[in-house]
Amino acid sequence: MNIIEKILKNHSENIKEVSPGDIITVNVDRAIITDMAALHPEFINNPPLRPFDSDKIAIIFDHFVPPPNIEISNRINKLRKLANLWNIKDFYDSGSSGISHVIAAEKGFLKPGSLIANTDSHTIAVGAFNTIGRGLGTPEIMNIIATGRTWFLVGETIKVNLNGKIKNNTSSKDVFFSIAKATGDIPNNNIEFHGDGIKHLTMDQRSSISTMCAELSAEFSVFPYDNVLKSYMDNINVYDYNPIKPDNNAYYYRTYDIDLGETEPMVALPDRIINNIRPVSEMNKTEINVCIIGSCANGRLSDIKDAAEILHNNRVNKNVRLIVTPASTKIYREALKLGYIDEIAGAGGLVTNPTCGACLGGHMGVVGDTDIVISSTTRNFKGRMGSKDAKIYLASAKTVAISAIKGYISGGLNE
Amino acid sequence: MNNINGKIWLFGDDINTDLMYPQVCYTLNEDEKPFYAMSANRPGWSRMVNRGDIIVAGRNFGTGSSRPAADNIKNLGISCVIAESINGLFLRNSVNSGFLALQAPGITNIVIEGDIVYIDLKNNEIINKSNNKKINFKPLPQFLMDIIDNGGIINILKNKKLLGGPL
Ligand code: SF4
Repeated sequence: MNIIEKILKNHSENIKEVSPGDIITVNVDRAIITDMAALHPEFINNPPLRPFDSDKIAIIFDHFVPPPNIEISNRINKLRKLANLWNIKDFYDSGSSGISHVIAAEKGFLKPGSLIANTDSHTIAVGAFNTIGRGLGTPEIMNIIATGRTWFLVGETIKVNLNGKIKNNTSSKDVFFSIAKATGDIPNNNIEFHGDGIKHLTMDQRSSISTMCAELSAEFSVFPYDNVLKSYMDNINVYDYNPIKPDNNAYYYRTYDIDLGETEPMVALPDRIINNIRPVSEMNKTEINVCIIGSCANGRLSDIKDAAEILHNNRVNKNVRLIVTPASTKIYREALKLGYIDEIAGAGGLVTNPTCGACLGGHMGVVGDTDIVISSTTRNFKGRMGSKDAKIYLASAKTVAISAIKGYISGGLNE
Repeated sequence: MNNINGKIWLFGDDINTDLMYPQVCYTLNEDEKPFYAMSANRPGWSRMVNRGDIIVAGRNFGTGSSRPAADNIKNLGISCVIAESINGLFLRNSVNSGFLALQAPGITNIVIEGDIVYIDLKNNEIINKSNNKKINFKPLPQFLMDIIDNGGIINILKNKKLLGGPL
């Protein structure tokens, strides 16, 4: 069995072997509820009476921090009541919160070998931690909260070997774009990362890649357990976990090899990612007027650092508004201490509080009809960030920061 | 569940959840939400749908997020989606919302918009009554059909008395 099949097997009862096509019932290690649950009428009107285990539930406010209107504010207040009613210890309200996938990593919920359920569709992000997880609809999460269990249809798994080292001007987002170019979308299938290049990837970089696998329509993604992950877990004092390696005869239905050294800065053109990726060098100075850095994929400390370094001694172009949204309170505070926020603000960028914000077009940078956006966020569906007429290009935080200075899509300050 | 008969609306590949349930829906009244379905890719369509109509679409129908997109097209009156392939998360959400979504590779080759199709759930067969072409679909496992027959997971939880009252 491969890593994903083994983790699924370990969470089922009385099953010895898991293979593609099986439907299995599993016990979930942790269920995460975000503030979005408050927008599902059933959740507010008929919440589960009590959770299967309060200590295995986390409530994390992220999409609408702070609430942008009265309606959302009222609904989110009801979730506060629920956190109290259910006696939830792991409750992260504005002031301590951040994007659920990032908080889950910081708080040690993502123990290697575990299985996570979350209402949010980018839960596949947990794969960086040798953990599997899937975004699920609110009704299904209600079932998990009540029973601790759910089911999965086991998909085929593809193996992606990441070899070599990325170049200085490239980012993990560009690595993801290379993967997406190679695999196309893989609905209902899984993706496992292997290869000698992984040891050079930081947890931030792995997280960015696993998060973006949601855009391949993958079920699960997973990275192996290694020293980089071990030191991360050691640093947050989490030791009680059971990392999973694939069997020697693990089955993968396809294998792809990606040379990280060949990866160059890329962008996804508006409306979709699959079959819509171009090298930045071919963008012919496409003009943009909105630049967004943030999200669970690329609003991490390393992304804020990239932006701060690029903006050092530079100014945001007068035709551009740059909005930078750190992904968690911890990242925000570290960026403050390290001077990144001052650097960005000094260059004319706007730094918001940690939230999902502009990524889902909810608040903190909703875009208008004529806006042309380049963003380090996750999705560029029509209408994703506000107006359906806005054009959304996706890229790494580096490319977004450089473009903010230039006023057009660019991969290098000296171009 | 009874067999289904309905007029089809044809959609392309990769119809995503944000098209079915745009951002504005989150805070609208329940009865207004369905009319925003597909407003970005097919303005005016939602007003032409009649109760019992069927959506036929290309591959990876329902790609995107966990938002209640299946509920929205169900509430618009759509009785079923038949697609070349259905996104995994959308399939789960459909089942849990008591809405039937079927995968029938080849379906888009045997229909044009406006055809009447008949879904024979016992024989796993879809028949285009307008041209008599037939195609098989992959049946859902019985325990998922049971969730649909119960009107979705919330009804099941309610029946088991696992849900409480309004917050
Ligand atoms: S940052 Fe964007 S993709 Fe990530 S959880 Fe928030 S809304 Fe979803």
